[in-house]
Amino acid sequence: MIAAEDEMPVGKRRSSLIRSPQFSSLIILIVLLAVFAIADANFLSPLNISNMMAFLPELGIIALGMTLLLTAGEFDLSVGAVFGLAPVVVMLLVQNGGVDIGIALLAGLLLCVAIGAINGLIVTKIGISSFLVTLSMLLVVRGAALYITQGFPLKSWDQPGFFVTLLAGSFNVGSFRFYTSLWWFIGLSLLAIYVLRYAKLGNWISAIGSNRNAAVARGVPADAVKVWLFILTSVLAGLAGMISAFRISAASPVAGTGYELEVIAMVVVGGTALTGGRGTILGTIVGALMLRAIRNGIVLIGVPGLAYNIFVGLIILAMLILHALLQKNAARG
Amino acid sequence: MEVLRLQNLQKSFGSVRALKNASFALNEGEVVALLGDNGAGKSTLIKAISGVFPIDRGDIYVRGEKVSIRSTRDAMDLGIETIHQDTSLAPDLSIARNLFLGREPVKLKWLGVFAPLDFAKLRDAASALLKRVGISKKLDADALVSTLSGGERQSIAISRAMQFAAKVIILDEPTNNLGVEETHGVLRFVKEVRDAGHSVLLITHNIHHVFQVADRIIVMRRGEIVAEQTVADTDLLTVESIITGADMSALLKETRAK
Ligand SMILES: Nc1ncnc2c1ncn2[C@@H]1O[C@H](COP(=O)(O)OP(=O)(O)OP(=O)(O)O)[C@@H](O)[C@H]1O
Ligand SMILES: [Mg+2]
Repeated sequence: MIAAEDEMPVGKRRSSLIRSPQFSSLIILIVLLAVFAIADANFLSPLNISNMMAFLPELGIIALGMTLLLTAGEFDLSVGAVFGLAPVVVMLLVQNGGVDIGIALLAGLLLCVAIGAINGLIVTKIGISSFLVTLSMLLVVRGAALYITQGFPLKSWDQPGFFVTLLAGSFNVGSFRFYTSLWWFIGLSLLAIYVLRYAKLGNWISAIGSNRNAAVARGVPADAVKVWLFILTSVLAGLAGMISAFRISAASPVAGTGYELEVIAMVVVGGTALTGGRGTILGTIVGALMLRAIRNGIVLIGVPGLAYNIFVGLIILAMLILHALLQKNAARG
Repeated sequence: MEVLRLQNLQKSFGSVRALKNASFALNEGEVVALLGDNGAGKSTLIKAISGVFPIDRGDIYVRGEKVSIRSTRDAMDLGIETIHQDTSLAPDLSIARNLFLGREPVKLKWLGVFAPLDFAKLRDAASALLKRVGISKKLDADALVSTLSGGERQSIAISRAMQFAAKVIILDEPTNNLGVEETHGVLRFVKEVRDAGHSVLLITHNIHHVFQVADRIIVMRRGEIVAEQTVADTDLLTVESIITGADMSALLKETRAK
């Protein structure tokens, strides 16, 4: 009896890990990868893996910011538009304005800071829901991108250099080809894991999303934290847009259309609660991998292009149902 | 020894004058019950003291010194801990994380908000605290608050207030929605807290509880303090009549005659 009691915490810890949302997402990811690999031998080919790894960081980086923001109880629908606008502004400044690329990049990032700050200040100080504020911001930002380009993609980028390599350089490992963006994603992921799980700030972020009044009553500067998270998310979206544009050497005013929903899907599929309070960066990484693998694998196994959103939607729905059931189970146990 | 004094506090929400000239003092090691009907201004008064919002006019003194409380952080730094009517805990965080929310023990302090939590200290302090406040069932410091009962949550909130050796602990309707046993637990806490030398300001609608734990009673009506009595010098009916403002003297005489 006593022995059993002593063993309890260990067993409890293990079962809580197994029942945790990021763990179940990981299992499903592995199953999906196995299914795709068996269905089509090309899925695990160096070329295809290199391909997936090139796309993964671009949405993944935005998803990291979105995870922190969702954990604090807010979200941002303007990330796809910012993803489009930031590189357009940078390339226009260089190509048409003759501005030095370093300064242009800085200007692009400052623009993202401003967009995030406006989102955050309106949400926290005026008290309008982040859904409405960032939806309006989506229109403003996308509209701005279309207007300053007159709706046309910019002429292709032909000036390599330090910053271009920093954002979108590539290197080969055997027959795999990786981009520097993968390092950005890995580095930012580690940083985000640290902040959310181990730092004081992470404790605040979770508490704000879980019960804002309780956090404020303990002296947590909830509004300031939220504003900074909006800024962070915007900056990461802009950075991802620049990485993407430099990788394909072209910026388009419609780049990133619909990314906001794809990113939110990655985050919630990973197990972060849309209602705030519970966030997991590991889950988001799994979610980003999963959505990437699904989009890629579905094409490989021959699902007709026009039908594949059906599958993506169904898999997301299945994941969410799974998380909800696990959550209920945990609450009962 | 006087720990807290309020002088002519005023607070309006638009045209609603929630506080008009509220004044009173709280002594060391004393439990004062703040009574009054719904909307009398009790929560507004304690929110003003705990820095949830600024007061329009009036002065606050802590241990005889005039202070300005502009934020919840200011109040906490002055040793005023408040457990609000609307729950004070974050359900998705563990007990340990809740206990230290806003005052997390960290290593590498110079990293500011990015400083890593000191998990060993966090867990040890939390377990020690849970033991000290004598919560009946063994609670795991790593358990999520969402898995606790209302009474357990209330106990956690109270022990958090005790842990920082607050001079003044304010409880806004702490026994709301609690079962019989849990209510007794909270009342026992209040006594323990007082015996440990803290002062307690207790808001409740249950007059029986007041007579069990309070030393003094303050009654508010429509934003004003209308009566102040020592528990020993009064009785239940008198207090009830002051709260409602109804003339219950006739009823009172009748009962006394019996
Ligand atoms: N944030 C606010 N904005 C506007 N009016 C408010 C606000 N907070 C309180 N009031 C008003 O101030 C008055 C006093 O409210 P308060 O919450 O202090 O009452 P209370 O004594 O705590 O009542 P209860 O016993 O129901 O908790 C009420 O008329 C209330 O409607
Ligand atoms: Mg109240």
